[in-house]
Amino acid sequence: MNEAFFVQLALSAAAVGVLVGIAAWAKIAKPVGPLDEHKARALLAEDFPGRRIDAVWIASDGCGAMAKSGGLALVICRVGDGFVMRQIPWPQAVSATFRNGRLRVNLDDVAAPTAVIAFATWPPETLTKDLAA
Amino acid sequence: MMKAAFDPVALATPFFILTIILEIVLARFRVVKANYETRDTATSLVMGLGSSVAGVLTVGVVFAATVWAYQHRVFTIPMNAAWAWVGIFLLEDLTYYWFHRLSHERRFWWAAHVNHHTSQHYNLSTALRQTWTGGVAGTWLLWLPLAFLGFPPAMIAIQKGISLVYQYWIHTETIRRLPKGFEAVFNTPSHHRVHHARNPIYLDRNYAGILIVWDRLFGTFQPELDAEPCRYGVVHNLGAFNPLRVAFHEWVGIAQDIARSPRHVLGWLFGPPGWSPDGSRDTSRTLKERAGVPVSGFVPARSLVAQADEG
Repeated sequence: MNEAFFVQLALSAAAVGVLVGIAAWAKIAKPVGPLDEHKARALLAEDFPGRRIDAVWIASDGCGAMAKSGGLALVICRVGDGFVMRQIPWPQAVSATFRNGRLRVNLDDVAAPTAVIAFATWPPETLTKDLAA
Repeated sequence: MMKAAFDPVALATPFFILTIILEIVLARFRVVKANYETRDTATSLVMGLGSSVAGVLTVGVVFAATVWAYQHRVFTIPMNAAWAWVGIFLLEDLTYYWFHRLSHERRFWWAAHVNHHTSQHYNLSTALRQTWTGGVAGTWLLWLPLAFLGFPPAMIAIQKGISLVYQYWIHTETIRRLPKGFEAVFNTPSHHRVHHARNPIYLDRNYAGILIVWDRLFGTFQPELDAEPCRYGVVHNLGAFNPLRVAFHEWVGIAQDIARSPRHVLGWLFGPPGWSPDGSRDTSRTLKERAGVPVSGFVPARSLVAQADEG
């Protein structure tokens, strides 16, 4: 690695800074409204096609959701202007840390380590005995 | 003959910067359609920067291997003959097709390539979301036969650079379709959008570098369908913008899988992405089968429109 390489690297890093600044200024991210049940089910159908959904709970800020599908929890969380979905065992979702209205779910995935979802209560009050099984 | 007199990628870097600015500004004023999310853009650009650093770390080995192969060449191909440039153009592009196909269909090489597909956006900055581990994954070995054949290392390096620069401008939603004749022969923004899409019908399609004819020839071509808008990213998208996570997550996933079940090491390494011993995970094939789309061959644009009309 010679001096020219480091000069080129420094200039490239500066250019990255400028481009990120311009992208921030432009405010042209995808318009993402808050999730509702219909949209959550549509997202789940994309990542988990054909999966039966027993119930869906939408985050109070619309930035995430949790669904029950048999013995699995399907988690939706917002990342930037997109959404990311993962599945974990339902008991893991029920026992996730819930503090100050935020559920912190360990997704057991290096590509998506945790999801933080705003709920008024957790586990959900609408979780009937049938669903809890 | 050995070292390239110029680097097409370095020469094109100011063009990359200016066109990204142009795409952002034109989208800002709604002249064209493009979406840029700030952290996503930062990740793509940092990946590009990191890739050039990672490349420097392995360039010596790659260069030495290429020179060694050239020293044992079968023919001596002149750099100043037009036919030689036509030859390297076609053979390098064919090599790229198979490199790219391998990088999608076998997990070891997917681990090095997946980062390029981790953005949920498709804009010019996505083109720069390049690998940090490609050199380690050894896919450069695929280009050595060109040197054995007798193409000078400099010629191979220049053509590889030209291919990379060509593939930059096709990472955009601002260009819908180009004239039919062009779309029939060359890789275009439309063809490459399909390649970056995670819809089952589009998975593992359009591996081309410059010429889309390889996909048509080897049965991996799929046209972009108006009835099936592209959703970008990977099958299970990343939940973070951290470049380290983008660069290494699949490698870590492979290591975790091998640690969990060492006797399936070959499957974890060289099976298709999503392979698992019990079939509990999804591969492109299972996703396509479940979605009812062809595993091989392609869906012509008209048939899906007809289905939508009938529905």
